[in-house]
Amino acid sequence: MPHLRQLCSAALLLTGLIPFAWADALCVLDDKGRQVCLDQPAQRIAALSPGATELVYAAGAGDQVVAVVAYSDYPPEARQVTSVGSHTRVDMETLIALQPDLVIGWVTGNPVEQTERLEELGLPIFYLEPRTFEDVSTAIERMAHLAGTDTDGLAVAEDFRQGIDTLRQRYQDSSPISVFYQVWKEPLMTVNGDHLIHQVIELCGGENVFADLPRLIPRIDVESVLTANPEAILAGGMGEENKEWLTDWTHYSSLQATQQSNLFFIPPSLIQRPTPRMLAGAQLFCEKLEIARARR
Amino acid sequence: MHDAEPSNHSAAPRPGHTSFSRQIGIPLLTLSLAALMAMIFSIAHGSSSIPLQDVIAVFTGQGSDLQRTLILELRLPRTLSAFATGGLLALAGALMQILLRNPLADPYILGISGGAAVGALTAMLAGLGGFLISGSALIGALSATLLVFGLAHGTGSWTPSRLLLTGVVVASGWGAVITLMLALSPPQRLPGMLYWLMGDLSYARTPWPALIILLMVCLVLTPFGRSLNVLARGPLQAAALGVAVKPMEALIYILASLLTAVAVTTAGSVGFVGLIVPHMLRLMLGNDQRLILPACVLAGGTLLTLADTLARTIIAPEQLPVGVLTALLGVPTFLFLLYRSR
Repeated sequence: MPHLRQLCSAALLLTGLIPFAWADALCVLDDKGRQVCLDQPAQRIAALSPGATELVYAAGAGDQVVAVVAYSDYPPEARQVTSVGSHTRVDMETLIALQPDLVIGWVTGNPVEQTERLEELGLPIFYLEPRTFEDVSTAIERMAHLAGTDTDGLAVAEDFRQGIDTLRQRYQDSSPISVFYQVWKEPLMTVNGDHLIHQVIELCGGENVFADLPRLIPRIDVESVLTANPEAILAGGMGEENKEWLTDWTHYSSLQATQQSNLFFIPPSLIQRPTPRMLAGAQLFCEKLEIARARR
Repeated sequence: MHDAEPSNHSAAPRPGHTSFSRQIGIPLLTLSLAALMAMIFSIAHGSSSIPLQDVIAVFTGQGSDLQRTLILELRLPRTLSAFATGGLLALAGALMQILLRNPLADPYILGISGGAAVGALTAMLAGLGGFLISGSALIGALSATLLVFGLAHGTGSWTPSRLLLTGVVVASGWGAVITLMLALSPPQRLPGMLYWLMGDLSYARTPWPALIILLMVCLVLTPFGRSLNVLARGPLQAAALGVAVKPMEALIYILASLLTAVAVTTAGSVGFVGLIVPHMLRLMLGNDQRLILPACVLAGGTLLTLADTLARTIIAPEQLPVGVLTALLGVPTFLFLLYRSR
């Protein structure tokens, strides 16, 4: 299976690369399915989401970034780059004054009326929104291609791809364990089967108890968690702190997760952003599930 | 309501009288100057600093490409949109207050913004942008207008109080639908929806429809100044003085709805301007509609232009929704005027 996957992705990559061989312009497909073409590698990149910033740096094009948005805190040098507001409201004037030659947009996170305005003003926008691990890899590759840093980008993407495959192989035969992942506390939120975090749970041999809910990030109540009675609860938190989110669950002694002390914190920045750091987040996630299995 | 207000100016003087033209001319001239200053201030200020002589250079056809883009493509349309939206809302508010004879009336009281919001939020939920958001907001606003008018008509004749009650209840219904939509929408769509509900000029695509409608409605209203003055004193007096009350009220309703629909379509539901600006002007200038209505256009436009300039610069590069600033600027000013008028 993994070999087939690798073959497939290699084939996909190759077919994707063929047009570049003869076209003058640098062209890639973005996550909206649009063809984005540049005459020359982007030298002034504006990243309109913290995740996009991480991907651009991962693609080896960090030196070419001229604009970021609030909460672009990784890698640390991204904090030094000029901010153009937040991903929900961009300061158009500051952005345009920086004269970017490529804007990295976020399909559902950036306001449509603003990205449309940027398109009207003639700025090339490359929309990203990775929904699978493979999307993260190709996002880095495509990004690197637009920035002219293919060598760096391909290596990082391949490392990520192999890291995920290693985890998949290690945990694919582990005994299933039911998991509740808590995105937020008030309101209580989790992820359904379409979310990238659900794929992390599956990767580690876990079973997301809310996989079948219709909405991507469902708002649920405590009662449904008690009914689902997961063996492990893993939670993000505000910033990198989360003490009280997990201690809340200790009040419910009927929960298997509480009985076996399987309440774990995963730093949200490692798992809630679709970037190469997800590999570290997924490793941590899998380790926590292994601890939970050992406590059975 | 109008009886309770300072009435020293409300006796409409004879037209053509010199004191009349002075009474109308001086305030309007002052307000026009203020509006002009506000627009210049707005065009000259942004999060990227452009020296004033460069701003002037852009308007004389010079300046760098970047400066031309910043001023002509970003600041100028936004400034004009802000002015037009403010003018539309203040005028609509003044008309609603005359129509409903209720000091709490504002352009949104009959649920027009609620209908528009449901339209706009539906478009946003579907991931649509730009003209499609504006288009469905307009459809929502117009259907809300028709709904309220049709329901208020009912089986009998409609009266302003029946219109008010119907409108307020329908507005609450829209409010419930909006809350439901917010509760059910994906978190990443929420900020955009909240900005729309608070009112934000990032949604303004082009100022022209708003400016043209504003100008047309002003022209339509010009011959009705005296009738509006009489109507504001009550329907019985108006009828006794020969004003056709029903057609007049229907006309006001249609015009106010049109103004509101265009305003919310341009910039979302910017609060406060439509309620407070007419009151503020009545406190200062008396209650002659021939003066108040054009003054509302100028003062509403000025207030929103200033508020929007602050909204996009005050904590730049972070952007605030303009609705926050209109209230922050307007509330103290209004309370001061109200306090002093006693």
